Amino acid sequence: MGYTLAEKVLARVSGRPGVRAGEEVMARPDFVIVYDFPGYTDVIFRQMKEDFGIQRVDDPSRYAIFIDHMVPTATPKEEELHIQTRNWCAEQGVPLYERRGIGHQVSAELGYATPGAFAVHFDGHISQLGAYGALAIGLRRNILEAFVRERISIKVPHTTRINLTGTLRKGVMARDVFHHIVRVIGPSACRFQVMEVGGPALEYISLEGRQTICGLAMFTGAVTAVMNPDALSMAYTDLRNRIRVAPETSDPDANYTAVHTIDLTDLEPIIVLPPNPANTHNLSDHLGIEVQSGYLGSCASGRLEDLRIAAQILKGRRVKDGFSLHVIPTSQDIMAKAASEGLISTLVEAGAFTSSPSCDYCFGRIATMTAGQKAVSTGTLNVPGRMGSPDSQIFLVNAAAVAAASIEGKIADPRKYL
Amino acid sequence: MALANLKGRVAWIFTEENFDVDLIVGVKNIKITDINELAKAAMEAYDPDFASLVRKGDLIVGGGNFGYGHPHYPPLRALAHLGLRGIIAESFSPGFWRGEISMGTPLVSCPGILAAVSRWDEVEVDWDAGVVRNLTTGTSLPFEPLSLADHAMVETGGLVPYLKAQMQTA
Repeated sequence: MGYTLAEKVLARVSGRPGVRAGEEVMARPDFVIVYDFPGYTDVIFRQMKEDFGIQRVDDPSRYAIFIDHMVPTATPKEEELHIQTRNWCAEQGVPLYERRGIGHQVSAELGYATPGAFAVHFDGHISQLGAYGALAIGLRRNILEAFVRERISIKVPHTTRINLTGTLRKGVMARDVFHHIVRVIGPSACRFQVMEVGGPALEYISLEGRQTICGLAMFTGAVTAVMNPDALSMAYTDLRNRIRVAPETSDPDANYTAVHTIDLTDLEPIIVLPPNPANTHNLSDHLGIEVQSGYLGSCASGRLEDLRIAAQILKGRRVKDGFSLHVIPTSQDIMAKAASEGLISTLVEAGAFTSSPSCDYCFGRIATMTAGQKAVSTGTLNVPGRMGSPDSQIFLVNAAAVAAASIEGKIADPRKYL
Repeated sequence: MALANLKGRVAWIFTEENFDVDLIVGVKNIKITDINELAKAAMEAYDPDFASLVRKGDLIVGGGNFGYGHPHYPPLRALAHLGLRGIIAESFSPGFWRGEISMGTPLVSCPGILAAVSRWDEVEVDWDAGVVRNLTTGTSLPFEPLSLADHAMVETGGLVPYLKAQMQTA
């Protein structure tokens, strides 16, 4: 019987000829990626020294630290955290990427999505590196293990395979595909497993869109998501790979827990209603709900295709008076490209508020809602309190639907503008 | 050192699938850091007398994919402060599992548990036998064994003591 991509990667990094799902192994991550955040990096830096007496991390080039939350800072305390992070990276010789964009996206741009690589983070949205065939897992606080010893203990996950067929209709985007996957297989179908996504429809989904699908994998219960590398993804990673490892693909006779085939031909734009990321419905069934703000950005969306479709919809139109539209490109690189394509000027002329990349809009640190307000959002999550008051509400939609809602001040079907 | 069996009453049963643990203290209270204040808020929406009814060693029972969403740590800190010892659920959401096991919280994944217990039943989690016993009704159910690392983490009391123990023996 063949092996899954996850089994092959974990065999290599645990120095074993072959491992099977369910085995517990000691694996050496190729990359340890984190962003600075109170309760994580500050605690890790302290525990390393005080609890474990470790002065320096092993092989600093394996580590990457991002400053993407609390950017720009709003309190002296936040700036102190960043200073501590800068100092730690300088002292350790660990690469620091500050204000380059949301780390999960910038990681891909910088080659940490090397196909076949094993990457760990505390944040599960790192799973989006799986779009390029990297196995990237969020460990929450267990990330400490990767700072205090070379190898981490990990149980080789089983894999559920999702085959996507058909093509996408106008106005249907990668996020709709992901939310539809949750609707079809349920929010726990991939619990503790890898969600492997493939099938002929991937041909019609951009690398950006593939990152969106993989990056949200946790809402199926998955520990990460992967896609077998193809010509499109390798053309991107070949220019960027940070380490030399063999790309891996799942064998045709790999042992999957389940295989689901999901046809996308009739898929419509989706809306995920509050209060949780599994509350998935057709957007067309919920038109007309009044919303006061819109967020186009995050590690899940906010890439070029999202900005392009929003600009297409808003060109020559106006954001409704009193509506707050925040358009935040996911990385500096994306922002620069969007500017050179004229997308930023189109969006600004329509009345959008834009800023340099930051994670802060996604979790309500800025553009904070008060009780009773509603937002359409391409952020990662719609749980109560995520973007401000616990009595505000978040409706997750694709970038086109955020743009359409910003024109009308209510949930609207973007397809009529395309 | 062996992991001591859990033995206590079922202090509450969350029957809902995909339960968001933040609701234990209420989303509006999630940023409270004072443990006494947090504990006061815990379970208020479910049973206002909860704090006075529970005793040390009591357990929570949950449904499938317990901890789905974006779980924060304060709700379980609050429950622990009230003496609650662990959670037995039909199944757990991986993010919640990872986070709480690293805090040393015993989690027991036990398909069928919802149908096997009523509130205030006395239950025992027997780690060696791999079963949850309902001492009130005399029935028992197998649970899914913890991985070796997770078992050791709960046994030592959490991630830091676990890693210290590991690195001493390495």
